[in-house]
Amino acid sequence: MDQDNNQNKQEVVVSLSDISKTFRDFWLRPTVKAVDRLNLNVKRGEIFGLLGPNGSGKSTTIKMILGLLKPGSGEIRLFGKAPTSAEARAKLGYLPELSYLHPFMTARETLDYYAGLCSLPKKIAKERSNELLEMTGLQEAADRPVGGFSKGMARRVALASSLIGKPELLVLDEPTSGLDPVSTDEVKTLIKTLAKGGMTILMSSHLLADAQDVCSSFMILNHGKTVAEGRVGQINGDLGAFFLSKVGEGRDFKIAPFLCVETVPGGAK
Amino acid sequence: MRKVFAIVRATMLEIGCDALALLITMAALAVSTFAPALHYHQFGEPTRMAREAGLSAILVGGLVFSIFGAVRSIRREIESLTIQMALAHSISRGMFLAAKMLGVFFAYLLFFVTVGANSIVAIKGAQIGALVAKGDVSRVWGPSLATGIAPIILPLIIAAFLNRFARFRFTRTAVILMALISILGVFYRFDISLIVRFFAPALALMPLAIFFICLSGAAASRLNANSALSLSFIVVASSLFLFGSHYLSEISAPGASEIPWGYIAMLFAADLILSCAALLAGIALFDERDLS
Repeated sequence: MDQDNNQNKQEVVVSLSDISKTFRDFWLRPTVKAVDRLNLNVKRGEIFGLLGPNGSGKSTTIKMILGLLKPGSGEIRLFGKAPTSAEARAKLGYLPELSYLHPFMTARETLDYYAGLCSLPKKIAKERSNELLEMTGLQEAADRPVGGFSKGMARRVALASSLIGKPELLVLDEPTSGLDPVSTDEVKTLIKTLAKGGMTILMSSHLLADAQDVCSSFMILNHGKTVAEGRVGQINGDLGAFFLSKVGEGRDFKIAPFLCVETVPGGAK
Repeated sequence: MRKVFAIVRATMLEIGCDALALLITMAALAVSTFAPALHYHQFGEPTRMAREAGLSAILVGGLVFSIFGAVRSIRREIESLTIQMALAHSISRGMFLAAKMLGVFFAYLLFFVTVGANSIVAIKGAQIGALVAKGDVSRVWGPSLATGIAPIILPLIIAAFLNRFARFRFTRTAVILMALISILGVFYRFDISLIVRFFAPALALMPLAIFFICLSGAAASRLNANSALSLSFIVVASSLFLFGSHYLSEISAPGASEIPWGYIAMLFAADLILSCAALLAGIALFDERDLS
């Protein structure tokens, strides 16, 4: 039994081999190389953090895993299958960076819609919708159109939508983006609870404190390339300092000279 | 099947909440109601005018409804990025696109039934008016207006009331009430031959709308909204000469020759081929694109 569990834990759920992605303009001229020869393996049951500064290729990598973007070269396997395979995607839940929701639907209708996309029978869909609405504290707002929701509430609806199919792999793109500290803490607790229940989680973030709190493994990207990877527990000290030591070099933020106005009592010069 | 149903339902909800769809429906209802009542249209054939106005509203309104419906629905999914959450599920891009178009078609079907039913009410109004007027055509528009106005004004008032006091969605409620009131009107002085004679030529116009749903949807999966709309209306304008031969208004007249059901079936068969070609082209173009 334990051997089976260990074997399961070693199963690679997401595998990227030598993945590159170059965006092109209308005339197929290369505009930007977003990902450059990336190799990544996410094992079952782990919380994998894809870290990096803005524009480092995290979201592009996630979208390639989801089959929304086609890699220029290399191979992606999701549960051992191509990312476009319906069978592989049936085991997937996705929370995008921003909460992309239909504004004309209520929270309940939104959950019904995603339950339908997961082919859940109506009875189970209704039960899970109610449970998720309760979990996210949205019961009272369940019958209001999500177009009128605050950013935090919309985020909770999107999170509930990504969980309604009870996925084996949950892909979270900046899961705590736009949330207040209390909601951030709730999301982090939820991620840890889901992982304890056997769900594999792949999350991207540039909030290193969040990543350090929840992730078991990490990879740091910069300019589409891997600059560091390993287990969070192996780092001596703070992940933030480690991160800056890897991606901070060569980044020099210069303040435009005209902004450096010498102030004098009574007004600016 | 459940996935397709979910997308179809969401698309119908979306179009039902779209103010533009409500405006197009109201405009088509107004044309089918008011056109035969306009002063300069009093040629002494009010029922014929009502039939012609109804069919024109279904043709022009239906084309505008289906083109705007398909383009706006698909572009909104792509531009608001809701498509990314949908396609992260076990649904192929082709199935998603086809289900969206099916949703637009069902929304169009509601428009078709609403305007068609209202046209029948207007025709009956014109018939009653002609009997009451006894040759005085200036009195024809009264009953026609009274019977035709209910499906436009009444739903708006009831929907506003329900929105204010019961939190019903205004646009969606108004669209459903317009359909219900129009259909209820058909049962007043129920005349099955009038219904068959009106809906037979109207059915001959439906394949055009189906084709343009597929064409506009396919264009919208690759082009931005303005380009997709322009392309669709250019195709409409350049194929206007084809429409004339499918505009079978003469068979809607009482005592006209037999309804050419075979010809109407042939139109649907031809449309099926053209619509499938447009849909497959759309799927091929959509399948290759990056959704970032």
